[in-house]
Amino acid sequence: MSIQELGADQQVQVEMITCVIDGFEITVPKGTLVIRAAEKLGIQIPRFCDHPLLAPAGACRQCLVDIEINGRAFPKPQASCTIPVENGMVVKTQLTSPVADKAQKGIMELLLINHPLDCPVCDKGGECPLQNQAMSNGRAESRFEGVKRTFEKPVAISSQVLLDRERCVLCARCTRFSEQIAGDPFITLNERGALQQVGIYEEEPFDSYYSGNTVQICPVGALTGTSYRFRARPFDLVSTNSACEHCASGCAMRTDVRRGKTLRRLAGEDAEVNEEWNCDKGRWAFKYEVAKNRIKNPMIRDSSGQLQEVSWPEALAEAANGLKNSRSGVLVGGRVTIEDAYGYSKFARVALNTNNIDFRARLHSQEELEFLATAKTNATYKDLDNADHVVLIGFEPEDESPIVFLRIYKQVHKRSIKVTSIAPYASRGSEKLKANLIKSASGSEVSAISALSGLTSKSVVLVGERISETEGGLSSIVKLASDTGAKLGWIPRRAGEKGAIAAGALPNLLPGNRLISNSSARVDIAAAWSVDSVPSEIGLSTEEMINSDLQALLIGGIDPMDISPEAKIKLAKKFIVSLEIRQSDITDIASVVLPVAPVVEKSGSFMDWQGKVRKFEAAVDQTLNRSDVRILSMLADEIGKPINLPTVNSARVEFESIGSWDGEVSTMKLVVGAGNKAINNDEAIISSWRNLLDKGSLQDGEENLAGTARKSKVVISQSRAKSLNVSDGDLVRVSNNYGAVTLACQISDIDESSIWLPRNSLNSQLIRNLGVVSNSVVKVAKA
Amino acid sequence: MAYTVEQVSIMDSIINRYPRKRSAIMPLLHFVQSIDGYVTNEGIELIGQKLELATAEVTAVSTFYTQYKSKPVGDYHVGICTNTLCAVMGGDAIFESIKEHLDIENDGVTNDGKVSVEHIECNAACDYAPVVMVNWEFYDNQTVQSTKDLVDAARAGNPPAPTRGPNKLRTWKENSAVLAGISDGLANEGVQAGEPTLLGLKKAKGGA
Ligand code: SF4
Ligand code: SF4
Ligand code: FES
Ligand code: FES
Repeated sequence: MSIQELGADQQVQVEMITCVIDGFEITVPKGTLVIRAAEKLGIQIPRFCDHPLLAPAGACRQCLVDIEINGRAFPKPQASCTIPVENGMVVKTQLTSPVADKAQKGIMELLLINHPLDCPVCDKGGECPLQNQAMSNGRAESRFEGVKRTFEKPVAISSQVLLDRERCVLCARCTRFSEQIAGDPFITLNERGALQQVGIYEEEPFDSYYSGNTVQICPVGALTGTSYRFRARPFDLVSTNSACEHCASGCAMRTDVRRGKTLRRLAGEDAEVNEEWNCDKGRWAFKYEVAKNRIKNPMIRDSSGQLQEVSWPEALAEAANGLKNSRSGVLVGGRVTIEDAYGYSKFARVALNTNNIDFRARLHSQEELEFLATAKTNATYKDLDNADHVVLIGFEPEDESPIVFLRIYKQVHKRSIKVTSIAPYASRGSEKLKANLIKSASGSEVSAISALSGLTSKSVVLVGERISETEGGLSSIVKLASDTGAKLGWIPRRAGEKGAIAAGALPNLLPGNRLISNSSARVDIAAAWSVDSVPSEIGLSTEEMINSDLQALLIGGIDPMDISPEAKIKLAKKFIVSLEIRQSDITDIASVVLPVAPVVEKSGSFMDWQGKVRKFEAAVDQTLNRSDVRILSMLADEIGKPINLPTVNSARVEFESIGSWDGEVSTMKLVVGAGNKAINNDEAIISSWRNLLDKGSLQDGEENLAGTARKSKVVISQSRAKSLNVSDGDLVRVSNNYGAVTLACQISDIDESSIWLPRNSLNSQLIRNLGVVSNSVVKVAKA
Repeated sequence: MAYTVEQVSIMDSIINRYPRKRSAIMPLLHFVQSIDGYVTNEGIELIGQKLELATAEVTAVSTFYTQYKSKPVGDYHVGICTNTLCAVMGGDAIFESIKEHLDIENDGVTNDGKVSVEHIECNAACDYAPVVMVNWEFYDNQTVQSTKDLVDAARAGNPPAPTRGPNKLRTWKENSAVLAGISDGLANEGVQAGEPTLLGLKKAKGGA
């Protein structure tokens, strides 16, 4: 007997089994598959269909070994990937059994009969398990003299995944992944016998946010990514472990670069985060790095209003001048690394002597500010693995944090855990999670939250950033968590938000969760920074800064259209210093533009929603590693109030040495929710969120990925459809005083007072088109 | 084509026979064939919806079994056994000559839509080899000539009764309904177990 650690708080006794493999004795937990036990001994049995995260299939038969139990031999070699070890089992692999060896060679020969052997033009060539194992465990020559079966190649099963059926070894990894892990059973094994092949239903493409994983786990070159096809050979690529910049799920990634250019990104492995998966956005959205509008050199606006490229000293001097003696503030953006956020945080306090700093480049509220500074949000992926009940509030995991979705789905698939979603309607994601939907119009979630019951300390409440759009929402959640003992997770969409909180890039917070209102916390930080004091007055929020009469703003990567339609006009009246990767709405109006690097060209770390640090190194070498913090440090020097963070590493070391606040903590001032809005018959309350694949700027330049974005549609209820006299697919016009959006409708079981639209998709960019995204009354009419 | 309310309620009653919905997939595919003549996309979509399966999953099943057709077959679908025993007993010759006689390939349909031909695997009727089936009814001990006569008669709309099975040959769609589990009341008509089938049993019991 031994003890295997499962959860932090639960240790389970596991029975151990002893068996012999190739003459070596090994003891493993009951249930371990023979192939896995052999791995522990360093014995590699060839395989194709076996995958540790998928249910065993025994589909390819490549892993055949000889087995006997207590002296009784199986009559034929057995698939070691489907048989668990037993006491008294004696296994002989290809290394010690000529029978097993011959069986494996026979299978390999069979698999190759119809295989085109087009390795020279196959993306997988050079990293292909079939190629490798044909060499290690196959016959040197085939005895097959017939004509190979051929198929038309390739078939596009979606705009981003291509299928070469002749290369397929029918291992069913792709189909099992789609069904068991992603819950998208849209590819299946069709036909039979020699014609068996992977396929889709002819009228529905492989429409899954996770389709790229099938390309990665296909053990041959049958599934390839459209964008990468024929672009490189694996041995020409230099791989760097990296972290994903697209959301707060925190995926470990691998970036493959050839001669300074990113050619592909793959999911990295991290059992505590993304296991071995990622989403298609993280995998395929990286072309923005090399977009034509990359900014290469610093620029200042000349007297005629044009941006002119200038030298760094000139640009820094101009920026320093504009910021130095004015009332100023800092807008950080939600995508910065922890090191950069720390740089902005210190810069605001030391160089600009202000607490006017906010990373929230989206809708936000005062209540949220309180919440972020005080709430304990420490749920983890592991808590999801052990949860009895997961509650989703203002949060659509499949769209807003895809790996969180996979983790919940895993437990739904495995243990049928309970999922509850408070949302206006059941999205495809919550349907897959078989979520119990508590229908709520946006803005009136509070009563649904207060009515939740049956939560225990094993329950996990996951809250999205959108709930800040509902007055009293976060307050009722804090109360719910403290009343029930449920674990709380706050999951922003962007990768930089959690780290920015930790770095104190908020108007009420200093690094390490130190409240500005707390004088000993301020003393702490002043000492760490070797300054006399840090400003004590609570600063302005993003919206307040935009609306205020501040004269100058330092702005990291933000899009004013994420905040309000007038933001750009208001910002244009100020002196703006913009740190940007590409030309944007902010560089349009900036007086000084300072170029910074995208993730592949710099090092740093993100903090995922669990608070786990995700470090990465530059994937492209010979870059200037122009992380924001280095430029901020130069700018602070120029202003004459140095922050002394000349490198990413120095920022990391300093931030880590400051540590987290361990003094007295304060609790949140709770806000009472507003009542329901009254609406007329032809009106509705608008609700929305961002689809995973949409018009987000980091997805620019990747057409194949965009091809799998879900179609924009407006979701309306049955009775609204009746009163508008429309049926599924008819055009519906949504309007207010500001503007209008016209989309095909989808009739669904949505809260009667509500309609739903995608927040930032094709033909439905709500801030731009309507000026509102949620919790607001709009007119709805047949178009 | 859209299904009538009545057809959809028959589908529901088929589904209700099973403890788990998805178990109804095979009869439902036959039922779709009894209406549309083959497995249409409309059928796949409706089955997917009813059984809460993805259309791709329904496709996987419907393409796996050769009894489900992805394109129309004739009113009389002729299956000629070309597995070992039937083949050597004349099945191969029958198959070749019927294709030529009807001027169609394997899986082809005559222009008038009346007859289609397919070579099939062993029907566990080797004791009557060579065996031909029409709409899954048995025509035993066939010859090239008898099969030509059979398909000609079928084309003309008056096929002979099966050697075993009901007294009258029903159409493809009618028999598909039977396979969907909708009884036509003919199950007890005609020869049930034939002489050669019972021979071994008789011997075992000490008979002739
Ligand atoms: S396409 Fe690849 S992953 Fe899918 S069954 Fe074929 S070989 Fe396996
Ligand atoms: S789930 Fe999030 S972190 Fe992971 S690859 Fe996708 S966008 Fe990146
Ligand atoms: S790896 Fe064991 S059967 Fe495929
Ligand atoms: S071989 Fe034709 S029925 Fe068996």
